[in-house]
This record gives sequence, structure tokens and C-alpha cells, in this order.
Amino acid sequence: MMTRTALPRRTFLRGLGAAVALPWLESMTSAAVPKPPVRMGFVYVPNGMDVRNWNLDYEGKLGQLSRIMKPLEPLRDEVTVLSNLTHNNGRALLDGAGDHGRCCGSYLTGIQPKKSATDIHVGISCDQIVANAIGNQTRFPSLELGMEDSRQAGDCDSGYSCAYTNNLAWRGETQPLPPVLDPRAMFERLFGVDAGLSSEDRARRNRFRKSILDFVSDDTRKLQQDLGPTDRRKLDEYLSSIREIERQLERAEKDNAQINPGMSQPYGVPADFAEHFKLMTDMLTVALQSDMSRVFTFLVTREGTSRSYREIGIADGHHPLTHHRNDPALMEKVSQINTYHVQQFAGWVEKLKSIKEGDGSLLDNCMIVYGAGLNDGNRHNHEDLPTLLVGRGGNAFKPGRRIVSRRETPMSNLFLTMMDRMNVPVENFGDSTGRLSGLNLG
Amino acid sequence: MQLGAGKPPVGIVYDSDFGNRIDDALALAVLYGLDGKNECRVVSVTVSKPNLRAAAATEVIGRFYAGAVSGNFGATGRNLPVGLATEGPAAEDTPILRGILDSKKYEHGVHDLNDTAEPHAVIRNAFTAQFDQNCVVVLAGPATNLVRAMNLPGTKDWIAKKVRYLVMSDFEMNSKIDPAAARQLFAEWPTAVFVSGSELGLAMPFPGASLDKEFAWSQAHPVVDAYRAAKQMPYDAGTWDVTAVLQAVRPGEKYFKLSEPGSAKVSDDGRAEFVYSSVGKHRQFTVDPEQKDRAMQAMVELASVKPVVRAPRRPRNAVATDPAKPPAEKKQP
Repeated sequence: MMTRTALPRRTFLRGLGAAVALPWLESMTSAAVPKPPVRMGFVYVPNGMDVRNWNLDYEGKLGQLSRIMKPLEPLRDEVTVLSNLTHNNGRALLDGAGDHGRCCGSYLTGIQPKKSATDIHVGISCDQIVANAIGNQTRFPSLELGMEDSRQAGDCDSGYSCAYTNNLAWRGETQPLPPVLDPRAMFERLFGVDAGLSSEDRARRNRFRKSILDFVSDDTRKLQQDLGPTDRRKLDEYLSSIREIERQLERAEKDNAQINPGMSQPYGVPADFAEHFKLMTDMLTVALQSDMSRVFTFLVTREGTSRSYREIGIADGHHPLTHHRNDPALMEKVSQINTYHVQQFAGWVEKLKSIKEGDGSLLDNCMIVYGAGLNDGNRHNHEDLPTLLVGRGGNAFKPGRRIVSRRETPMSNLFLTMMDRMNVPVENFGDSTGRLSGLNLG
Repeated sequence: MQLGAGKPPVGIVYDSDFGNRIDDALALAVLYGLDGKNECRVVSVTVSKPNLRAAAATEVIGRFYAGAVSGNFGATGRNLPVGLATEGPAAEDTPILRGILDSKKYEHGVHDLNDTAEPHAVIRNAFTAQFDQNCVVVLAGPATNLVRAMNLPGTKDWIAKKVRYLVMSDFEMNSKIDPAAARQLFAEWPTAVFVSGSELGLAMPFPGASLDKEFAWSQAHPVVDAYRAAKQMPYDAGTWDVTAVLQAVRPGEKYFKLSEPGSAKVSDDGRAEFVYSSVGKHRQFTVDPEQKDRAMQAMVELASVKPVVRAPRRPRNAVATDPAKPPAEKKQP
């Protein structure tokens, strides 16, 4: 009688100095790994939505979708439309103007950002809570992607730091995790910069890099003695970021693995939005598929962006367009941009669905929020935020529906539910009042 | 009198079991009347009676007076929906609700539970938007919603920072409805608390005869319809909640006597009593025979005041307008 032994989850095909990671295989199933991992991600689009063309006028099973959601219609069985979710901490709450800064800073943190261009302060984001809890199971605790080059310092919205508008993930109250914008940089992060190097050269380079980190650490420790408490804290955070990179390098070194991405190495940032989006999501797909990470954030463009979309014939900036003063011509352009974003997203969702994993697809084991931090970019309101949840979270959710929550239901309630699904239960988060009802199966 | 000089008028967080007694409706009328005079801002309205029609009727009154339920008026305002409890006692429909809603004379936007909000979220969110010490809470029903709000993480800090005091009407009766909530409220509420006993509302009855005289300017008035539907006319109504609103917004008028400090206590079976103690944070407000007529006059005048339509930024002298015309739609800044 033959006994089949389950393959370890992190199996590599090895030979002549190369190693190729395998995606999740059924033969990996064992008592210890009963099913594929669940992945959690957030795709953020800026400047709210033209809600006239976003909203649905019915609840329950999804049928015909709105104009902006239309590209997702073939995939509607994979989509949950969520209505009435609110970020109270995106509101002014006596802090005056700056809705773009607040809405992005509070989006995954549930906390009102401190109004300052220099003294940034918000809260740890929900993706990072999960990454801290389960990130040791994967090569990267989390991945942060973006598509628009943007500064991290200075005032980006009425006194709010650019750190708020240009980052989604926050490792701590004062420490954003800037997204990787350049596909090449993302490629190198995921697969190593040394795709063409020999294993000896790779090892030598890693040793060199490590020695630099040690040197920096020694040097900065000397500096610490002369610094005040605030600067020391900042330095500590800076060092911890470096140590995290070091850990990633050590992990990569230990694995001695070169992941085969199944694609050639990209060069530069594509000028075309759709091409850029596809490149970033292609790499993200490989990362999810090969379990390099289970948590990601994707800031499609920065909040408040004035990017134009000449690809679809729109030369005006996105943000100015959203202040349309109900001019039909301007509103039409906003709708076109919103639809264009969903179109790119739908293409990626389709790809995730096409990848088999276990009894279903890679998409089945994902839960990806697609949404904006403002409802209507013209009104700058923070209730009924445009929100989609894509995927089944490992057969936890039943998509294909529109769920309308009670008004003022905190967006943080959705995040609590998602954290539960990642087996990282948290009692409360941001301004949560409980779990989001109606989402879970059974 | 305007509280909080240099700040907007004091923000009122109002929680009631609307629909059970007519003074709920009268109290809302007085509250919006005070709002129309720039003496306060209604910043949140929540209902502990778990009946969708109670929320709908509440919204009718808000729209009648102010074009919205809450906070549509000043630079710091916004529209929060009616918060509605989904469980609790006295869920049944009442003549008051039928009087306001069944004629379908008045528009409202509450047709489904999702048109309302969790009351504790509404209350907490209202606190977050107020200037420090520029908010007053009026509790005109059981403490259920308020305690749920207080129990949300961080909300006690918000209360301590934003709220000047809490005024609770008929604490003997309202404690009996949810004794556990009342006990926790009296033990843990971070600010000063003023409570009235059952005798106050009975001692200062609202004159039913005023409906024909003081409210004659209106062809259709939801509070008048509710009043007429509540009981066989003519009758005078108890004013437990109305007196609480007066004490909350116009403490400086000294309409009522204030007791020495003490603590409101609630036994397991729901019996409430006021125990005097020099270290207590609570006070009882009671009828003041010398001020009674003045207080009664203020109640009638404020309850029957004409609605005031405001610009998005409140002008110094708001203008009374024809209530037959629908209030102008407000745009958010």
C-alpha cells in the first residue's frame, strides 16, 4: 500500500543554483494545511465617485450593474456591493478643510489624522495589524503598491501632510509604509534584483548589503545619545524599517530562492495607465499565488490627484474635474475616469478568477476591498463610501449581492470582520461599533 | 441665553422613547424652537423605542421645523440620520405615531431600518463634532442608547471633553424601563447630571387649549396632530421631557429649583431614588412655584414657534418663513 506524504507549503523546485516557488497545490493538503490561505487586500481609488453613476437602486442579488460598475458585470457573482459604510473620522470634526488628507489617512486606520504637514499622527492600519500577526508565515508580511509618483513630505491638502494622501498602509501611528510605484522596483522586491546574477554573486551582494545595514545601525546608535526623545523615537522607527528590510533579505538568503515570475523583468514606469495597472497587478497575482504575502494595499493613484487620463481622451486633472459644480460635461468625465478604473480592476479580478486553487480559484481565497475614501468628490462627504468587496475570503462570504447597512455604520466594522477572517480577531478597531452584519455565510 | 460664548450655540444630543407620551413630541418642538432662536443646535436625535415609525415620526418633526433632523444649520453642522434602537420595551405602535404618520401629510425618509442608524454610533459621532464643553445631553427615555454609546471605546473621553452636563427627565420612571443601564449611567457618566422626578412633569401640565390659539398659524402641524391623537381632547399633558429641554438649554433662566448635590441610585428592581451627598455629581431639578408661570409660558411659546429656515451658514438674524413651503435644500460645504 502506498502512502502519500503531503508536500510542504513552501516547496521549491531546485537545480543548479535556482529555485522556483510553487503555487498552492492540492498535494500540499494535509491536516496542518487544510486549505489554501486567505488573502486580504485593499485597492483604493481617489477623489470619490460620481455617485449618480455608481449607486444601485436595489438590494440583494446583483443583476444589472450601474454604469461605473458595468465592467464587473460578467463577474458580478464574485462581487459584494456594500452601501452606507461611513468613516466618521474622515470628517472635519472641527478641523476645517482637508477632506482629501483625512479620507485617505483614516481609510485603513479608522482614526482621524492629526492636522499637520510635519507632525504626522494617525493609527496603525488594519492591513498592518494582520501583517504583524501572520506576516511571519510569508516572505513579505505585506505588500504596498501604488501607481503615481508622489512625495511623502510637505502639505498636500489644507495643512494635512502628503503622508496622509499618498499612503494607505500605516505600520504605526507615525510611520506610513510608502507604496512601491515603479514596476521594476516591485519586481526587484518580489523576485530580487539579481535575476541575472550567479548564486555566488547574489550571496556576495547580500553579504555586502547586510554589512552596510550593520554599519548604519552602529552609526545611528552613536547618534542616539545626542538626540531628544522625539527624534530618538523617529530614529527607532527608521531603524526598525531597515531591520525589516534586513529580515526580508535574510529570509530571501535562507530560502536561496529565485521565484520564477513567469514574466520578463520590466523596465521603467509605463506611461499608459492600463499597462501600468496590469503590470503591477500581474506581479501582485504571482505574489499572492506563490504565497509570498497574504496582505496588500494598492493606492491606485494618490488621494486628491490631479492626474489626467489622456488614454481615454481626458486632458483635465481628476481632482479639478470632481469639483464639477454639477456641470454635466465635467460630471461625465468623472464618470469616465471612475469607469476606467473599474475596468482595469475587473481585468485583474478576472485573472484572479482564472487561476485554479484548491477546489476553486485564487479569487475565492481572496477578499479585496475596492473603494474610495470620499462618497462624492464634489461634496466631500464621508458617508456611504463607494465600496466593493471582491472574492469569498475562503468561502466565508457569499458575494453576488448588494448589502445595505444602516446609515453611519463604520467602515471599521467591515475591517473588523475581515480581520476575523484572517484569524486575527481584534476587539475593536478605529471607530468600530461591532462586526459588519449580513456579510458572513451562515 | 447662549451657552459657550465664542462658539456656536450649544449642541444638543437628544435621546427619547419617542411615541410613548406626548411630551416627547412637545419636547422636540421646544428643542427645535430653541434651535430656531439660535439658543442651541440639535446635533443628534435618537430613539430608544424600537419602532421604525417612531423614527419616521421623529424625522417628520425635524423636517417640519428645520428641514432636517439634526445639524443642518451651522458651519459645524451636518445631517446625522435618526438613530433607532432595534430592541427594547414598548415596541408597539401608538396613537401618537398614528396621529403623525397615518394621514401621510408629512414627508419623511424613514421607510426601512437602513434609513436609520445605530443610535450609539449617532450619539458618539455627534460628540466628536462638538467644541469642547459645548454639548449638552438630554435623556428623555431609558438610558439604553446612551449607555451603549458610553460603552463604545473612547467615548467616555469624548463625553468628558465635549459635554457640559446631562439632563434626564423623570428619572424614576425612565430608570425603571432599563434599570441596568440607568445604574451604569449614574455610576459612570463623566459629567454633572441633572434629573427630574415624576412630580415635575405633572406639576407643570402643558395646556391643551393652547393648540387652538398658539398653533393657529399652521394648517398642518405634526405635533398638534400627535397631541390630538394621543388622548381624548381636551386634556393637559405632563411635561417631563419638555421641562428637561428647558433646563438643558436655558439653565440660566432658573425656571426650576436645584437640589443640593447627591446621587441618583437605582435598585435591582428598578426603583430609583435621589440620595443627598456633598460629594455627589448629581442634582435634582424641581418645580419652583415662583417661576412656574414663567416656565409654562416659555414652554408654550417655544413649542408653538414658527419654523425657521436657515442658510447653510447661520445668519445673525434668521427669518421666520411660511411653513407651508418646503424648506430649501441645503448643500454641504
